[in-house]
Amino acid sequence: MSVCEVRHLYKEYPSFLLRDLSFSLEPGTITGFIGRNGAGKTTTIKSMLNIVHPSKGEIFYFGMPLIGNECLIKQRIGFSAGAVNYYQKKKLRDIAAVTKSFYQNWDDAAYKKYVRLFSLNENKALCELSEGMKVKCNLLLALSHHAEILILDEPTSGLDPFSRDELTDLFGMLKEHGVAIFFSTHITSDLEKCADHIVYIRNGQIVLSDTKQNFCDRLGKSGETLEQMMLRLEKEARDDEADL
Amino acid sequence: MTKLIYKELKLSASPLSYIFIAAAFLTFVPGYPILLGAFFTTLGIFYSFQTMRENNDIQYSLLLPVAKADVVKSKFVFTVLIECCSFILMTVITLIRMLLFKDAAIYTANALMCANLSFLGFALLIFGLFNVVFVGGFFKTAFYFGKPFIAYCIISFIVIVIAEALHHLSGMDSFNSFGFDRLFPQGAVLCIGLLLFVVLTSFGIKKSEQIFERIDL
Repeated sequence: MSVCEVRHLYKEYPSFLLRDLSFSLEPGTITGFIGRNGAGKTTTIKSMLNIVHPSKGEIFYFGMPLIGNECLIKQRIGFSAGAVNYYQKKKLRDIAAVTKSFYQNWDDAAYKKYVRLFSLNENKALCELSEGMKVKCNLLLALSHHAEILILDEPTSGLDPFSRDELTDLFGMLKEHGVAIFFSTHITSDLEKCADHIVYIRNGQIVLSDTKQNFCDRLGKSGETLEQMMLRLEKEARDDEADL
Repeated sequence: MTKLIYKELKLSASPLSYIFIAAAFLTFVPGYPILLGAFFTTLGIFYSFQTMRENNDIQYSLLLPVAKADVVKSKFVFTVLIECCSFILMTVITLIRMLLFKDAAIYTANALMCANLSFLGFALLIFGLFNVVFVGGFFKTAFYFGKPFIAYCIISFIVIVIAEALHHLSGMDSFNSFGFDRLFPQGAVLCIGLLLFVVLTSFGIKKSEQIFERIDL
């Protein structure tokens, strides 16, 4: 059974339309969500978290509709939006102490493990941390309550290559434990390394949602990397629009 | 809800909100428009909303496993908590002025409002106006608070000017008597102030919950 299912999602803004998005997330899989800036990735993620309200469509988690079961569902999912930008003057220790009180499954041992793994100093205020460390803070909070789904909006942006490598290894480890990971990114090498499934969005519409292998087989050319493929597809789409 | 209130106190609140509770001590100042003490208390709460916005507090709260309505309620509870602290302090000082200093020349020769039950009623009205105009206005977008704050400032200053000058109108001097001389009319003002505070705050909560449920962030 899918742990998350997005069905025919529409979101209409005066200058942008998210059209008929459907995809699902399976337990123990990593799904990469790619597309250009303004393609609708963040709007989709915000809709999946009920931060923006879809014009049409439904979102299900663990077989339950998000609307009406939000609190229950949020106990079981984790979210991170790049660098944490909450409470910049507060220490990580204080933010974690408050956050933990909301989660039934908060695990102090897991929290301490990730603090060590990410080399975070709990006594530092967030404004004292680098952008990469802030990303790790966000992930730390998302991981410490044993989320069954992690929804991550550009989690690797701002991280150095070594930290990105650590993070993608961590995704692999979490996947082994049955966690479904859904992350948007511009860094296609991260997808190449760890994604099982790719959802590609352009101008508010899904171009293709498939396994990484099928995705490359269907859209790629021989010898192309994922980055080369994406660049070519976007250029082709731009040229087609210009012709129209 | 208690967890959210703890979060408000521990993470969201600006220290100025707590410091500005001390504005209630303005009730002691002779010849001063003492209702401004209530306004300054709300100004301290305004700083918390500013801090909350800078720190993306609303976004953080929405990602927690809590109902959106509870996020709204927790902001109102925090606001009312600060107002209650200030009001209790004002009440104590008012009672001191009414009991111990009722004949003190420094207070009796006062062109402005005296510290009495009417004053407390008007202070509650100002708190109620803050809750409905500013806090309620903030939740229309959960981001912009400039217009609600200006609207609140204008309305509250009108109320302060009217309240401070009310006793100069004929037949209204009983609202400004010293000590316990005119308890009934003053007690009526206090009761009306309390009622308005409850009604305005409840309306602000209900309206904010409805709007906050609908808006995109």
